[in-house]
Amino acid sequence: MIASVVDTELLVEVVWVSLVAGIGVTAAFGFALLGATRALELGRDGRVGEATLFGVLGAVAMAAVVAAIVFGIVVLVNK
Amino acid sequence: MGSDVIVVIVVATALTFDFTNGFHDTANVVATSISTRAMAPRIAVGYAAILNFVGAFISLEVAATIANDVVDPAAVGLIAVFAGLVGAIAWNLITWYFGLPSSSSHALIGGMVGAVFAAEGAGAIDFEDGILGKVVVPGVVAPVLAFVVGGVAIVLLYRIVGRLRPGPVTSGFRFGQVISGGLLALAHGTNDAQKTMGVITLALVANGTISQNDFHVPDWVVVSSATAIALGTYVGGWRIIKTMGSRIHKMDSAQGFAAQGAGAAVILAASKVGFPLSTTQTISGAVIGSGAAKRLSAVRWGVAGNILVAWVLTLPAAACIGALTFGITRVFGTGAAGPVIVSALILAGAAFLFVRRAQGRAPAVSGAAGVSS
Repeated sequence: MIASVVDTELLVEVVWVSLVAGIGVTAAFGFALLGATRALELGRDGRVGEATLFGVLGAVAMAAVVAAIVFGIVVLVNK
Repeated sequence: MGSDVIVVIVVATALTFDFTNGFHDTANVVATSISTRAMAPRIAVGYAAILNFVGAFISLEVAATIANDVVDPAAVGLIAVFAGLVGAIAWNLITWYFGLPSSSSHALIGGMVGAVFAAEGAGAIDFEDGILGKVVVPGVVAPVLAFVVGGVAIVLLYRIVGRLRPGPVTSGFRFGQVISGGLLALAHGTNDAQKTMGVITLALVANGTISQNDFHVPDWVVVSSATAIALGTYVGGWRIIKTMGSRIHKMDSAQGFAAQGAGAAVILAASKVGFPLSTTQTISGAVIGSGAAKRLSAVRWGVAGNILVAWVLTLPAAACIGALTFGITRVFGTGAAGPVIVSALILAGAAFLFVRRAQGRAPAVSGAAGVSS
């Protein structure tokens, strides 16, 4: 009965978008934090190569966070 | 002329409801940022007010659901819309007075359904596709989904940053909370301000100002609803902020970030497809999820239980008050006299409750506080 009155397609869309956005963006921010923190620590220890790698990880992850947020808002506005 | 007076009263009542919605829901948006010291209280509240205002302009899907899908706009009269709003405001005031958690969104929908049921009978209400399909089922799914997203997100975060020194990580998550708190405020403005827009538009259709065949939300309705919710948010409800920020469980900045991110994701996804959620219950689900995933005993389950009880109670209780208000209003006929007298009564009742509350004479419900959406 529930399936007949609920637009399951919309509900499933809400579920997967929430899971991907909520968990994905949060995890990406975690990687941004990991990259930035480790890059600073390794840079202070003179381990430039590893510091650069973590710096790139942090930058890419932060860019992913920003891109996901902008994309989400654009999708909402253009609905 | 008489109906124009009623329209003015209905719009004023709807905007008052919108203001109280922002007032109550400030807590949902800023509590985690304040409790983890990501932002100073006044700055957090001002920031949330601005983004609530902006969020109200993002989408109109929820407004369309409220105006078209819950009750039959062709069958609804102005007095029924007025009575529904009074039902929602009265239930919010009662729950605020007793310190019970409640959802303003469910109060609004319950009030409208009750009043329309009393006015036009069950035929004017879309119980299956509207109430069940667009309100109840998404309303049950959203907090559970937010609980899962908040819980999984915090477990992942602890795994990713768990071995780092706490100092920089805490600072990083506090910065993250500025972003996630902003998104949550935006999401709140999007979903909640639209409910008021939907009700005002419903009243305009009922009055014949807008043709049902040419359904649209006028710009002045969008701007006034956005302004009312933003002002309400700025004025804020500090007692409720304390509850949401620390009474469910003590949060660290990572949990605050995960909870805000989860809440924002669920509310924005639902707003896109037009589901009018309870933002309070969604955010509560995310807050509880982020606490439970760390340690089950960290969550004050009594408070969570009270939120659950209010969740079940709000729709029927607001519906009963909406129906009763319609009956009382109609005693004075179909003109403006009924809404004017009932408005005066509700104002007097609100003043009485505020004075009692200020004097500390309101009964307190253990482990609960008034939170709403």
